[in-house]
Amino acid sequence: MTTVSNRQSTDVALMAHLLRRAGFGATRNEIDEYLKKGYEAVVEELLYPDHGEMEDQDLVDRYFIASVEARSAGHADPQWAWRLATSPKPLEEKISLFWHGLMAVGGVKLDHGLEMLTEIELFRQFGLGRFEDLLLEISRNPGMMYWLDNQNSHKGAPNENYGRELLELFAMGIDESGEGAYTEDDVKAAARAFTGWASKVTPPPFFLGPFPMEFQFDPEDHDDSEKTFLGQTGNWNGDDIVRMICGHRAAAHFVALRLYDYFVSDTPNEAEIERLTDVFQANDGEIRSVLREIFNSDHFKSEEVRFKKMKSPSDLVFGTTRLVDRFEIPESDSGNLANNTMFMGQHLMNPPSVEGWHEGEEWVDSGALIERINFASTEVSRLDARGVQEMLERVQSAGDELNSEAFVDACLDGLGAIDASARTKSILIDHADRYGTPWEREAPDAIERTIEMFQLIVSTPDYQYC
Amino acid sequence: MAPENFSYQDTIGIASFLGRGFMNPVDVRLDSTGMMFVLSRSNAGNKNVRISAVTLDSEFQYEFANWGTEPGQTTMPTAIAFDSQDRVYVPDEHMNNISVFERDGTFVKRWGELGSEPGQFNRPSGLVIDSEDNVLVMDHLNARVQKLSPDGDYISSFGSEGNGPGEFNFAWGISLDSDDGIWIADWRNDRVQRFTANGEFVSTIGSTGTGDGEFDRPSGVHVDDSGQVYIADWRNNRVQVFNNDGGHIETLTGDATLSKWCQEFVDVNPEQAGWRENAGLFEEEKRFWRPSAIETNSDGLVLIADACRHRIQIYSKVPEPALT
Repeated sequence: MTTVSNRQSTDVALMAHLLRRAGFGATRNEIDEYLKKGYEAVVEELLYPDHGEMEDQDLVDRYFIASVEARSAGHADPQWAWRLATSPKPLEEKISLFWHGLMAVGGVKLDHGLEMLTEIELFRQFGLGRFEDLLLEISRNPGMMYWLDNQNSHKGAPNENYGRELLELFAMGIDESGEGAYTEDDVKAAARAFTGWASKVTPPPFFLGPFPMEFQFDPEDHDDSEKTFLGQTGNWNGDDIVRMICGHRAAAHFVALRLYDYFVSDTPNEAEIERLTDVFQANDGEIRSVLREIFNSDHFKSEEVRFKKMKSPSDLVFGTTRLVDRFEIPESDSGNLANNTMFMGQHLMNPPSVEGWHEGEEWVDSGALIERINFASTEVSRLDARGVQEMLERVQSAGDELNSEAFVDACLDGLGAIDASARTKSILIDHADRYGTPWEREAPDAIERTIEMFQLIVSTPDYQYC
Repeated sequence: MAPENFSYQDTIGIASFLGRGFMNPVDVRLDSTGMMFVLSRSNAGNKNVRISAVTLDSEFQYEFANWGTEPGQTTMPTAIAFDSQDRVYVPDEHMNNISVFERDGTFVKRWGELGSEPGQFNRPSGLVIDSEDNVLVMDHLNARVQKLSPDGDYISSFGSEGNGPGEFNFAWGISLDSDDGIWIADWRNDRVQRFTANGEFVSTIGSTGTGDGEFDRPSGVHVDDSGQVYIADWRNNRVQVFNNDGGHIETLTGDATLSKWCQEFVDVNPEQAGWRENAGLFEEEKRFWRPSAIETNSDGLVLIADACRHRIQIYSKVPEPALT
């Protein structure tokens, strides 16, 4: 029989799961606020962020003036890091991170932080809408044109880089044998269709800083002759190529697979992916519709996928930062948050290649694990942070005296209603038992014991998963 | 359109992480000898902060107050000001203190700590020194102006948080007129407030917007010897000039030419000179990008810290026509 208490507990766990996947997690108090709205209403709220400048954008600009005219990805870090750490529209940032990894442009070649920020903004604006609109925008993004050498793609001498990556990495994909739903001739046709699409030359940033990049189409340099692409023949240009790609089931399947991988599980479930592919096609390729289907599905809500997905460095760093809620306004430390993800293997705005990052278990090696544990355990011990105080209050409100199991449960709940395996929980309880006495709210060591348990929990393998 | 009441003179600066050049200059001041001192802010994480001493004919002299937290170093410096002995005062909004240097860069002392008690700071931003060598600091997260002795001893303060008269919202720049009257760039209230030397509210210039007399986050204010008021209209990328009663005189949007240092860079880097020529953004190159502070001298020179273009744009006031 399901009791009221059990149902509440289930609701809390489910809401926490949604917020970890559709965002970067939430504090226990935030979860309570979301619960008042109800699960499906929260899904809709997440799916429809009010796009625009954040209220404290002026403060980020003021305290990090070099990020306004960001000459490099490193100079731009404080801008995106602040939004990742504090935006009240978490899915807008999460989907931007998704597209940034999928349509990767990096500072190693595009040494232009201002343009990198423009591209992230493009992902915010179009990332939840129709895939076709997003692809059209990214195909006119001057940073992307530069990154994939399209300024060197000329009528009569096309450069195939953009056409190839568009098909292989951005929109249709290849299988393990290297085969895709397209041919080498399709790559060549796409490259010809994108000739004349380029980024306008900008002054070098070395003496006056960067200038905004601009897209430029040169009709004289565009090959407008007949081409055959995906079996259709015509005088196709880049827009036509994008439209034909997006009408192909392979593109729908590719996007569904990547969304499933990012939001649901590192292990593909082909039946679910096929279902999402249908949803993509039935909704004109709208990403929001696919995500709605994901978040409201029984599969997503099931125990089968909870705490099974490895946190990316951004999930770990910004999730923990949000949990401890220590930044009221930008400060020097908030400008350095992106350094922490870099130390863990995810250099924002500077992915290792056009392939983006390899996600899942590949995020963690011994060095990255130490960085993760050190970062998280330091953050949850910050007594001056508002979120840590809230976490302590949560534990304190669980009772005047708690046995070891109840104390561990209260700490797990305070850390944003997270869960731990039976084995991990047993180890945590054993540690709590070492004190030899129950945890007491009024005891002199109550706070010290609680912070120590917080640190222990975020050091477990379980905290590395979301 | 060329300015009517000012003539563009010169530009000094080039983007540079250290040495000759600047990195996001947020303040500029002249000492009693006419030497220009420029405060490069950068991002704290990029560690390019410093104060550069440069002559007005573009000769770089030396730099000091580089990045760090040790005495003689700064992390998030916000302003510079000279006392009567040409000693340089530098507030730091990360360390919440004021560092003092001789004009040659020798560190003298520093004082201040985080807090809201008298003499403590919570992100000091603008700083100016009055005719008696007292230090006035815009203690911006405490929403107050503090008046302190040269050694940091508390004298008085005024202001509170809000948007009414005498209230501040993330205020930034501060300037004194010839009567030691106090002018504050009330940054997030999009206005400049004027006070008597005792901190009594006098008047306000501006409101939110993009028209004449309107502001989008004014960062710096400066009153010249004649009482003319210059306001760095930060997010509108312009400097507005007012008479002493708040009447709008002129708006400057930037007229920069290539500085001597930039020209030398272009001359020895033909490939990059070619990029510049092909881009053809010569009009855009002239414009201010987040101008942050203004300085003037008795000869009518007007120096504007053009923060995101790493340079100082220099104008002179056009003399009024002689009466006929």
